[in-house]
Amino acid sequence: MRCTSPGDRPAGRAGRIPPAVVLLHRHGDPRVLREILAGLEEEGVPCRTEEAADGGARELAFAAAQVSSLGVGVGVDAMGNTCVHHAKLPRDAPAAAGPAGSARVMGHNAARLVVRIPFKRQEDSHA
Amino acid sequence: MSLVVGVDIGNSTTEACATLVGEHGEMTFLSGALGGTTGVKGTVENVSGVVEVVRRALAAAGRDPADLAAVLVNEATPVISGLAMETITETIITESTMIGHNPDTPGGAGLGVGTTVAFAGLPDCAAGSAVICVVGAGVDFEDAAAGINAATLRGVRVTGVVAHADDANLIANRLREPVPVVDEVTLVDRVPLGMRAAVEVAEQGRTIRTLSNVYGIATVFELDPEQTRLIAPVARALVGNRSAVVVRTPAGDIADRRIPAGTLTLIGEQTKRSVEMDAGAAEIMDTLRRVRPLVDAAGEPGTHVGGMLARVRDTMSELTEMPVDGVRIQDVLAVDTFVPQRITGGLAGEFALESAVALAAMVRTSKGPMELLAERLRAALGCEVLIGGVEADMALLGALTTPGTDRPLAILDLGGGSTDAAVSSGDGAHSVHLAGAGDLVTNLIDSELGLDNLELAEEIKKFPLAKAESFFHIRMEDGTARFFQEPLPADAFARVLVLTDAGMHPIPTRHGVEKIREVRRSAKHRVFVVNALRALEQVAPGGDIRHLGFVVVLGGSALDFEIPDMISEAVAAFGVVSGTGNVRGTEGPRNAVATGLVVSHAAARAVMERALHIPR
Repeated sequence: MRCTSPGDRPAGRAGRIPPAVVLLHRHGDPRVLREILAGLEEEGVPCRTEEAADGGARELAFAAAQVSSLGVGVGVDAMGNTCVHHAKLPRDAPAAAGPAGSARVMGHNAARLVVRIPFKRQEDSHA
Repeated sequence: MSLVVGVDIGNSTTEACATLVGEHGEMTFLSGALGGTTGVKGTVENVSGVVEVVRRALAAAGRDPADLAAVLVNEATPVISGLAMETITETIITESTMIGHNPDTPGGAGLGVGTTVAFAGLPDCAAGSAVICVVGAGVDFEDAAAGINAATLRGVRVTGVVAHADDANLIANRLREPVPVVDEVTLVDRVPLGMRAAVEVAEQGRTIRTLSNVYGIATVFELDPEQTRLIAPVARALVGNRSAVVVRTPAGDIADRRIPAGTLTLIGEQTKRSVEMDAGAAEIMDTLRRVRPLVDAAGEPGTHVGGMLARVRDTMSELTEMPVDGVRIQDVLAVDTFVPQRITGGLAGEFALESAVALAAMVRTSKGPMELLAERLRAALGCEVLIGGVEADMALLGALTTPGTDRPLAILDLGGGSTDAAVSSGDGAHSVHLAGAGDLVTNLIDSELGLDNLELAEEIKKFPLAKAESFFHIRMEDGTARFFQEPLPADAFARVLVLTDAGMHPIPTRHGVEKIREVRRSAKHRVFVVNALRALEQVAPGGDIRHLGFVVVLGGSALDFEIPDMISEAVAAFGVVSGTGNVRGTEGPRNAVATGLVVSHAAARAVMERALHIPR
């Protein structure tokens, strides 16, 4: 599960979508996005970022999970509220959600959802 | 026909058996009931528990309490056990010489050696010098990587990084030259600067090779044999880690010391012997075997064992309202255990497994105020209350109602506080009460897994484990999978769960299913199998378990999902028929004493009847 290069990647190279968590955001605060991506990178899980026209964090996360080949999506609304969702979970029951301040932990947990290790809690982080 | 209820007041539960007894002693069992014992066994506080359980038994049988002819109560001698645990080794790091912990995600791989320097001090480093960069709290990973890259460009050889935040991969991914990065070092400010240090990170799926090897450390730091001898405990403490940091400070040391645990004196009827606590459980139990039967035990004052026994005595005297010096310890069970303890002087919350000895002690108190209890019960129930025979005799009679059993029969009663055994012989029963049972198992599980949560430890003891593998399925400890309609809660995700009858509870540790299962089974083995053999040996004719015919396992812990199998396996070696009791063919390992009381009562009645009708 070694991390290759994170962040945006041209989808569909060689006709295949590389495995990645999908991050959908609505004019998300770049600092929030950076923290989420950092959390994912630290865990060694690739991520693809896309911008969405509208929707709340939960809807974005659910939509992102549906298109992610790993089945895991992250949604960020204009306020920086973050939600982590799994494609197999009911729409209204996300795996995790939190305010902008918890972005790093949300990134970690989106990655941990992929690699299947227990979630990190906000109080565990030293940040 | 008369309606009687046999009542067994146990240490933790009160059990009842409602029966119709005919004139010739024929019995029709109606129902059984079980409730919690109120107060200490054998005291008047038991009344409310007894009344409740009698009421329940009659209700289950559909009988009117007004028809109740008699309640039969056992002769209850409170047998109480206490336990204590003390570590006998301790690991101390002085002058912060090492960081040995397992962050989830260290960065890079390999071994780096250099002088420790703070991140802020990096620009002042001379080109060509080898350094280990210490990144404190609040430094962003991009700034850290940029700073290190700038230094590298100047010709400073940054060979390793120690970081405060969970940042290792973020930093490592941004470095021009890949180096090992150890992160999540909580007390990074206490890493000594300007000292020679080594940082090692192993590839994924591997453990470190150099810093966990004493000669590896000696090579890195160019140590002489005497210095190598001193550093040996550091290497040992780092074995099994994926990442480590060793800082060589002039006075730094890691000590691995044994705590003087004291001497335990066992006083038998004939002789008296002393044994050092840190000799371990086997030695202590061996000494006990040589002084048996035990009259009392004493611990050297001012030592750990002295404190342990003092605590047991205090608890006992509090429970039984006996003077402290009147408490006599009649059996002890010593068990070797280990306790994960935070290393004194560690920088990243490192734990070391310290050796410990757990000691359970059993105290037999004077007979409770049975007459007074009977009188109160008479008033509360409005019927005759008879105090029945000796508890062990009654348990044997009850156990004999298990289909397929016969004399000579031995019972093994696995309780919460004590393990009891009795065997029927010509002149009544011969019985023993030994220290150590379910409560000790719970305590061992709690401390060995470092849970600090007795409730959870109790659940781990009683119920099987599973691992949440997705939001919709779990993998049971036997390898089978179980699926769910509703998604599991997020706090259960990827965790080991204990499947209690009140739902699944996540176990908040990093231990895997295998490890937790191993600790659970080993704790049960060290307590119940050891005690079962010890108990049977003491009641068997001539001390030889082979001379027992049938062994019936009774008591609350006999309901456990694996203890009876462990005992059967251990006893099978002696060619004895052993299994879990099934009192009256319906009650399982419960209700033996209550049933025995009724059987004994009916038999007495039949004898009386015959005596009255002997034709002259």
